[in-house]
Amino acid sequence: MKRRFISMFLVSAMAASMMMGCGSAAGNDSTGSGASGSGDAASGDVTEFSYFITMPGSEINSDNEIQQVIAEKTGVKVKETWLTGQSAEEAVGTLVAGGEYPDYLCTDDMTTLLDAGALIPLDEYIDAYPEFKNEWYTEAEWEKFRQPDGHIYWINQFENTHGDSKKTTHNDEAFWIQNKVLKWANYPKLETMDDYFDLIERYIAENPTMEDGTEYIGYTILCEDWRYFCLENAGQFLGGYPNDGSVIVNKDTMTIEDYNTSDDTIKYFKKLNEEYQKGIVDPESFTQTYDEYIAKLSTGRVLGMVDQWWDFQENVNGAFKTQGLDEAGCNYIPLGLTTEAGMDNRWHTYDDTVNCANGIAISVDCADPEKAFKFIVDTCMDQELIDLRVWGLEGVDYLVDDQGLYYRTDEMRMNAADTTYKASHLCPYSYFLSWGGTSFDGKNAMRVDEQPSEFMNGMATPLKETFDAYGVTTYPDFIGSVVEANGPWFPMYSYSNGFTTATPGGVAWTKMGECKHEWLPKVVMADDFEKGWADYMDAYNACKPEDFLSEMQAILDTFK
Amino acid sequence: MEKTASKKKFKIDWKEVKRQRFLLIVSAFFVAYGIVFYYLPLTGWLMAFENFKPRLGLLGSPFIGLDKFKFLFSDVAFLRVIRNTFCMGVLNLATTTVMAILFAILLNEIGNKFLKKSIQTISYLPHFLSWIVVVGILHNSLSSSGIINDLLLRFGVVDQAINFLAHPEYFWFIVAFANVWKETGWNAIIYLASITSIDPSLYEAASIDGADRLQKIKYITLPGIKPTIIILLIMNVGNILNVGFEVQYLLGNGLVQSVSQTIDIYVLKWGISQNDFSLGTAAGIFKSVVSIMLIVLCNHLAKKAGEEKLF
Repeated sequence: MKRRFISMFLVSAMAASMMMGCGSAAGNDSTGSGASGSGDAASGDVTEFSYFITMPGSEINSDNEIQQVIAEKTGVKVKETWLTGQSAEEAVGTLVAGGEYPDYLCTDDMTTLLDAGALIPLDEYIDAYPEFKNEWYTEAEWEKFRQPDGHIYWINQFENTHGDSKKTTHNDEAFWIQNKVLKWANYPKLETMDDYFDLIERYIAENPTMEDGTEYIGYTILCEDWRYFCLENAGQFLGGYPNDGSVIVNKDTMTIEDYNTSDDTIKYFKKLNEEYQKGIVDPESFTQTYDEYIAKLSTGRVLGMVDQWWDFQENVNGAFKTQGLDEAGCNYIPLGLTTEAGMDNRWHTYDDTVNCANGIAISVDCADPEKAFKFIVDTCMDQELIDLRVWGLEGVDYLVDDQGLYYRTDEMRMNAADTTYKASHLCPYSYFLSWGGTSFDGKNAMRVDEQPSEFMNGMATPLKETFDAYGVTTYPDFIGSVVEANGPWFPMYSYSNGFTTATPGGVAWTKMGECKHEWLPKVVMADDFEKGWADYMDAYNACKPEDFLSEMQAILDTFK
Repeated sequence: MEKTASKKKFKIDWKEVKRQRFLLIVSAFFVAYGIVFYYLPLTGWLMAFENFKPRLGLLGSPFIGLDKFKFLFSDVAFLRVIRNTFCMGVLNLATTTVMAILFAILLNEIGNKFLKKSIQTISYLPHFLSWIVVVGILHNSLSSSGIINDLLLRFGVVDQAINFLAHPEYFWFIVAFANVWKETGWNAIIYLASITSIDPSLYEAASIDGADRLQKIKYITLPGIKPTIIILLIMNVGNILNVGFEVQYLLGNGLVQSVSQTIDIYVLKWGISQNDFSLGTAAGIFKSVVSIMLIVLCNHLAKKAGEEKLF
């Protein structure tokens, strides 16, 4: 009898634990959202929202000091989660498949989320803050975000200039080169890929290793997953076109052209192939991961590469500073190279790039969308909050001089570059709406790196020397792009990013990407370039790029 | 009583049920578990025949018949992933099985008990490493400046570092090697157990007849563990298409993608990344059907050869 009782007990215990097993996930969740709901009911409490961003980023500590200050002021604390170990599409796909969403979302692939019914329309919230509505976008810009069903679901968080532009950085793509190489050659003017690689070759011939004996790598290429733009699209820039990303727009005829097959692109890959044979291009280029790439750059042994500034500067320049490599002349200078010398170039985008494919959105699972939206508005309209996000705490992270200008001491600058300090103290909420340009009181820059005093003082000596030698004051000056307004369609990639495999063009776009991922490295490594390129073209044309191009043309036609 | 029981041979009467009620209760849970977690999810297969949209749901999405399967089998990339999955599966199965048997036999020949135990423990430890760690180690050791190239260069085998992961022709072997490294010790355990169950008197008799070590292995050990080998093979053949996802996903890159991608990666890419759940499901169904066919076929062959069988 006793034994029977025990077995009964065990069986029921097992059954109970099984039930618990299935139930617990849901249970936790409901308490989670319940907590945020009840937090709202008792005003003064802090509501915690979650925010998933499909970009890699560094998480801040849960007891972050400035986050706490912002939470006290606004009643909102946001737990940001970043992409780890997945591609952005996979992360979004997993969210959709699971059907449960964080409160805020930001990804390049917003249409997928929209199709899945994951987002709430923001129109009425936007209308509730007329001041914000007028300040953030123009009417035409808001219209770009309006979806076919007539609603606005997301707002792009980047590249919005308030007042006068104070742009100091080149937040775009370029051929980068370490400033010590320029200094070694007595600051030459580099205009074409031939000039560029010639200089790197000569430098390596004379200085094969760093001071500590590490061999230099002349040029490396990042090709991991979506970051293969470092290999893939330089052809469009070399031909003098702006970053439409997936296609070239011929403004005269208003037609879409394919840069994958353009002469500029062929010349570009031919040159890379040539340099690969000479051993200047890093043979590990095509197998390295992003982390390995950043680690490689951070050692200071890579002399040049093509990349977007935002893709490397945060990690790499920080590492240079802490190792003292910035004083050894390792910082990168952007170059606006073109196929022929003397051509116009459009590497730098002077306007704000309104990327309507991407932005911050509020999900259907958000318990209190009103409060969530208010937080979006507050963090970009309240100068005090902006300063907290951008600069930090007054007296601790920055000082104010008698004219009201913000500045940092050297120690503060070191702190701001230190990862541990950043995690425990600073809270930039970088994927909430962020301004560039001038602050609301008209005195300071909205971004620290655009504050003239910070920009100049934050520079290492060799970097400053390079700026002086070329007589420039900002990074875009190095590029010397044509200053002109982009067409209303710009950038075209904001449309192709939203393509899905539901249309032939979307299928072609996916297959083209796959084909290029495989063949472009092969072309660069080919023993016989002409043959390699011909084989690539066979594989490329089999993807039916014309389907993709015609769908892009149809989009461009709406701007005629 | 006796009479009725024997008459109704297959009818289970109430008393019998009562007698076995605990067993029944316990098995009911497992049946329920099986239904909930293995059979109910199969309703998701409906997706493969619909143009599935998450917003419309499983029942609301439009029915499109076999369109997705047509797309699948006209896609060169899919045919390529079938080839990759199958080849890597066979290669992995062959190498891991052979290595595990070899290792078990060698280990069995070690006389010193302590040495034997320590080797066994050390050799199965890699099984507990996750693939991400193993791939990290592989990636580092196979890189141009990694240990393997370092050794090859130092011993003068090659005069220029080989970038192993950039060559499609090496990829399958690298994956097979990784599997062998990680799983040999673990897989050997079961063979070792089956070796110990062989009657020692057989070995004694063989010794008296003058058999040496190799002969003993050939005529006693191997035939002794043959049933185990066959059963494990049948079970593993069903898993050939589950050749893995992590290794290929983590180790692959653009250059080798034509040989590195498996069905699972294809499903992930189209189903999750491109949000075409229907196509992903169709590819998944294909994989399951082929796996079932393989296992039935293999079982049948084993039966024919008069060996152990699974069912």
